[in-house]
Amino acid sequence: MAQDIQQAKHTPISTEEIARTFDEAEVPVDLTGHGTEDWITLVIFWLMCGCVFLQFFTRYVLNNSFAWTEEIALFCLVAVVFLGSIMCVRTSRHIQVDFLYRYLSPKAGRMLATLVDLVRIFIFAYLARLVWRYSAIISDERMTTIDFPKMPFFMMIFAAFVLMLLRSIQVMVANIKRGYSVLERPAAFDAPGIDEAKGA
Amino acid sequence: MLILLGGFLLLMVLGVPVAVSMVAASLAYLAVHGGAPDVIVAQRMIAGVESFPLLAVPFFILAGNLMNIAGVTGRIYAFAVDLVGWMRGGLAQVNIIGSVIFSGMSGTAIADAAGIGTIEIKAMKDHGYPIEVAVGVTAASATLGPIIPPSLPFVIYGMMANVSIGSLFLGGVIPGVLMTLFMMLTVWIFARIYGWGSDAAFSFRKIAGAMLEIGVVLSFPLAVYLLTKGGVSQNLAIFSSLGIVLALDYKFKFSAVMALMTPVILIGGMTLGWFTPTEAAVAAVMWSLFLGLVRYRSMTMKSLAKATFDTIETTASVLFIVTAASIFAWLLTVSQAATALSNLIFSITDNKHVFLVLVNLLMLFVGCFLDTIAAITILVPILLPIVLKLGIDPVHFGLIMTLNLMIGLLHPPLGMVLFVLSRVAKLSVERTTMAILPWLIPLFAALIAITFVPEITLWLPKYMGMVR
Repeated sequence: MAQDIQQAKHTPISTEEIARTFDEAEVPVDLTGHGTEDWITLVIFWLMCGCVFLQFFTRYVLNNSFAWTEEIALFCLVAVVFLGSIMCVRTSRHIQVDFLYRYLSPKAGRMLATLVDLVRIFIFAYLARLVWRYSAIISDERMTTIDFPKMPFFMMIFAAFVLMLLRSIQVMVANIKRGYSVLERPAAFDAPGIDEAKGA
Repeated sequence: MLILLGGFLLLMVLGVPVAVSMVAASLAYLAVHGGAPDVIVAQRMIAGVESFPLLAVPFFILAGNLMNIAGVTGRIYAFAVDLVGWMRGGLAQVNIIGSVIFSGMSGTAIADAAGIGTIEIKAMKDHGYPIEVAVGVTAASATLGPIIPPSLPFVIYGMMANVSIGSLFLGGVIPGVLMTLFMMLTVWIFARIYGWGSDAAFSFRKIAGAMLEIGVVLSFPLAVYLLTKGGVSQNLAIFSSLGIVLALDYKFKFSAVMALMTPVILIGGMTLGWFTPTEAAVAAVMWSLFLGLVRYRSMTMKSLAKATFDTIETTASVLFIVTAASIFAWLLTVSQAATALSNLIFSITDNKHVFLVLVNLLMLFVGCFLDTIAAITILVPILLPIVLKLGIDPVHFGLIMTLNLMIGLLHPPLGMVLFVLSRVAKLSVERTTMAILPWLIPLFAALIAITFVPEITLWLPKYMGMVR
């Protein structure tokens, strides 16, 4: 390595050149492959942004803030987290550790990865049931700042867990068909890098 | 306690997503020990993210993602070349300065490493630097992301430890500068040893130009301060100063003034107590929307939707861990794990410095195989009681913890940034490890300084009256 470093020949860089390198690096936008639930999450996300913007505006410019913006924004946040988790399940982007798989034989890795898929499916199913039972307990609660029942909100979280369950089953089936999962070959799940995207 | 911690660690090592491992271990604990009905898991999970400070998380992530498409990236690096490109090892210095500016706009390390890191590595490689050097500098400077405000780990730490997020952000400023200086010094030493030259001609005009831009940015808070002192109302002072900066930028076509304004708006607003962290994050989002839609017009509806999806993905994967951690951390306290550890530590030592050394080693170890957010949510409830008993300031401890976990992300054998960069640079994990190794020296030097000199962290928040 030391030898490499000493042999390095530097070509000078100009301000314009580096600016161009970074501006050209933009990968073309591809929005295909997002499910309906993702677009619903996107709408809720911007609704949340709208609420917080509105609160910001009413407080700083009008010096008189609306009380309901905060509550709605928080409900949106909870919804974004659970609905967004569905997307993370589908794209296998939930944070996980894969170092063990570097040291396993492909066969053992495959068995373990399938076990992981099963554990995940079981937990999502159990959580969906728990949210269902929880919403039954507090079924007649209403929001504090506006007169609206909380039930639809809990139903949405319940739906999110059911979808996470369904998506995780889908991912498991896909993993079995493909013969590997994100744990065994993380590189195959990366977003295309700059080189690939530009065809270089 | 064994079911809870052991179950969690086992599942996590097997590759079950971190959040799911936490929930599974918690459910197993409740099933075996009872104590509470399992419905409480659902209640805690939902309540866990229903907190106003956490609203800052999606907005900081969004602000960072929007900045990437706001047309400022190239300008920031052009500015950095003007400022430090003439130094020995110019592009390595540019890489560090670029990361510093980006750290002032985004709050994560892994995203920084994978996003702009890819382009930084490519630019350095194209200009004759060995790929190892490019990877090493990029990895080391990515650790700045969460230390220089805004910072996601600080938001989560502040929430878990019940510490003011604003004072944590302020506390990160001087350590961030210190780390930057240490890294730049390392580049300088390497450049001496290996005889790297500069990458851009020394031009007094260009350096003066870059300095002038910094001056314009710094004169903004000064103008606001002077105007409010002079009796002008706060809103008027801010908007008129902002107007002047915008007009100047429009006339003289500065390269990085607009981008450099982001951290100034953020830190300035929070320091003077105008903004809560959440509002500061919203201000950053509005600023980047303004730059992308009005000033540079580089955003399209498509790229905006893409940035939103990326934000949702990161937000969900980070906060889903927080939801799971809210039940897991609660059970950790209930199961007396914290008391057991505190008894164990007090049986070894009751000296503050020995404790800090032990805890640093523990966190470096934890940080190299556990995700940052998960590590904070688990370690804070366990360690904070001891920290408070020993009289260590929780803001100081937050800095130590975050820096440790960041270094853990890139030190061998299991750091996450290490793996990301090895994939991005198409370098084997072993070679990436060797490439990053020398760059750990300035980071460890900074860690030691920050651990044993609390004033580095606490001076600024104390000066601003945010910490006693």
